[in-house]
Amino acid sequence: MKHLIYGLLIFMVMALPPVSNLLESIMIVHMHMQMPILVVSGFIMGRFFQIYFPVFFNKWNENGFPGILLFCIIMLYWMLPRTMDEALTVQSVQIFKFISLPFLAGIPLRDSWGKLSSNAKNIIIAVFTFVFIVMGIIYIFSPEQICNNYLIVEQITLGWGFITMAICMMIYLAYKTSINPEEYE
Amino acid sequence: MGTTLKQSWKEKADQALGASPEDATLSKTYLFVSFITLLIGGVLGLIQGLNRAGILELPSWLNYYQVLTAHGILLILVFTALFTIGYFYAVLSHNLGGLLPKARKMAWIGFGLKVIGLIFVIVPIIMNEASVMFTFYPPLAAHPVFYFGLVLLVVGVWMCAFGAFIQVANWRKKNKGQHVPILSYFATGVFVLLFFSSIPVAIEVFMIIPWAIGWVETINVMLSRTLFWAFGHTLVNIWYLTAVSAWYVVVPKIIGGRRFSDTLTRVVIILLVILNIPGGFHHQIIDPGIAESVKFLHVFMSLAIGFPSLMTAYAMFAVFEKTARKKGGKGLFRWFNKLPWGDVRFLAPMVAMIAFIPGGAGGIAQSTNQLNQVAHNTLWVVGHFHLTLGTTAALTFFGISYWLVPYLSKRVLTPAINRLGVIQTIFWSAGMIFMAGAMHWVGLLGSPRRTSYTTYFDNATALSWDPYLIFLAVGGTLLMIGVLIQVYAVIHLMFFAPKGETEFPIAEEEDNASKTPYWTERWGMIIVIMLLVIAMGYVIPLVEMIVNAPPGSPPFRPW
Repeated sequence: MKHLIYGLLIFMVMALPPVSNLLESIMIVHMHMQMPILVVSGFIMGRFFQIYFPVFFNKWNENGFPGILLFCIIMLYWMLPRTMDEALTVQSVQIFKFISLPFLAGIPLRDSWGKLSSNAKNIIIAVFTFVFIVMGIIYIFSPEQICNNYLIVEQITLGWGFITMAICMMIYLAYKTSINPEEYE
Repeated sequence: MGTTLKQSWKEKADQALGASPEDATLSKTYLFVSFITLLIGGVLGLIQGLNRAGILELPSWLNYYQVLTAHGILLILVFTALFTIGYFYAVLSHNLGGLLPKARKMAWIGFGLKVIGLIFVIVPIIMNEASVMFTFYPPLAAHPVFYFGLVLLVVGVWMCAFGAFIQVANWRKKNKGQHVPILSYFATGVFVLLFFSSIPVAIEVFMIIPWAIGWVETINVMLSRTLFWAFGHTLVNIWYLTAVSAWYVVVPKIIGGRRFSDTLTRVVIILLVILNIPGGFHHQIIDPGIAESVKFLHVFMSLAIGFPSLMTAYAMFAVFEKTARKKGGKGLFRWFNKLPWGDVRFLAPMVAMIAFIPGGAGGIAQSTNQLNQVAHNTLWVVGHFHLTLGTTAALTFFGISYWLVPYLSKRVLTPAINRLGVIQTIFWSAGMIFMAGAMHWVGLLGSPRRTSYTTYFDNATALSWDPYLIFLAVGGTLLMIGVLIQVYAVIHLMFFAPKGETEFPIAEEEDNASKTPYWTERWGMIIVIMLLVIAMGYVIPLVEMIVNAPPGSPPFRPW
């Protein structure tokens, strides 16, 4: 129960108009802070649903792949510039953002991550690394404003956010492949 | 199996017999040069304080800003770095069964690079070619040789960091599944911070060099300042983490107690490592060119660093009370009497901790935008870091020296030197109360920092600062006496004290201590999270500063 409370608490704080207005006023914070925190709130709540609805998860997410696929689809959807614009201008899309990220990305991620093999996890991280590099290049080098609501400099900032996160993930993958934990543990 | 057995015997023998002579020489050299630096830096500090109070006229060949730059660089960069490295290499040697020849060699090369770098840095300052103060960011431009010296200092630090990493990794391979001993864990955290925080300053220096030589005409000042403070603020926390290592591990042993939770200690280290580097922004809280919303978000990052400090304060006083009550201490506060106040190894770090209460609170005040506008660039700031570095870090380092130096030199701390240490601590505390207290107060009245003595054409406000500046000079004089006593004590303990064995004091965990989770050893993960947090902190302002860069500044040499 406490997982549900903690997750909902984060979710509710994120939904407060001054908080969401502040976070959405900066493009990179919108995509790389508000959205991941919403996913995290769902990830925390996920434990509650796993405990109270085990049959559902066993039936629909037996090996973790359906869940991680759903997570990837939702994440990729919210990486599109247009969806961010719509979230700011169309109220129903904003509501969809607040529902999709915690409940359709955070919760499935919680349930799937533990079920995936180590290799599958690394592949998922590698895929996201690749996507982040591509998105980073697009956002940095696009000569046009891709989002109506944000200036070009914010777009470039977001691009560098993607690239730095991709670098972090590459370091993680390099660490995973070059260091054998059995030598130390 | 054979190797493991041999290793464990070697470790036991090393722990029983003290540091190996080669490892001891390394640490002693670092500590000796560190305290000589303290002496020179202290003398410069006194000259500066007397001059600033309007009491002492400097000769024509020496100006206030030269003295200020040398005092800052010697004490902030050199004294602290050499002490930290000397101390932690002694820790690694003691904890991990002696230094590997490779690690020792790297530390020696690092030492050589740092000494050469220091000469390169100091000579231009003496020649009045580099009065750019310890922050050395543009638009003030020094002689290029000054920056070459900084490069060598940074490379020297990197050598020591990698030596330490090799040492720790080697121990972990030979002791699979075990936790790195707690002091070596602190050392790992400190060297991780030293390495990663010196990357931005290295980039800054490589931007400055072509500008100082004249190959490029202008430089992006905002970018340079930001890169500097990513390092500058982390350096503060490197001293702090070094001091904290002694508080958590050494002080409990000296008062006859046990350590507080091992897990909490390691979590504090991890948090300090992860959260630290973006904290640099609170030094730029009134800089132009950074959006207010970004500064607001950065307040969270800055204040987050306060959280592990509050955990530390709780842990330390819990240990004190528990130990004192075991010894029969009673009452709400009377148990304080049971603590060994006459033992300098306890007294110095204890005063250091107490100083951190106003020091830390002042830091939180300065991280707050509106309050910072009152104190920014006034003597308040100088008072603040004389409390944090000058007292919290330095006094803990002094406290450490009273057991570390005799341990390394196979001598003992005599009651006479202990008494001298207590007197030194009293001088230091009184000096800091006068000096840092006066600096804080006169800063609130508007007296600027980094400014030679002036009455601004006998302006009434400026004249009203004078009485406080006299207190500053009095405090500085007391501190100079403290420096002399401290350096004498270190040299005595290193070369002249009676021969004997001194213990390396490491407190044990409680008997019923809970098991520390193994994830705390996964430094790869910790570093990746740290890099993510750095990216969170720096991507927005750096892109803004680079993409919307102003025309840039030519070099300035106003002295």
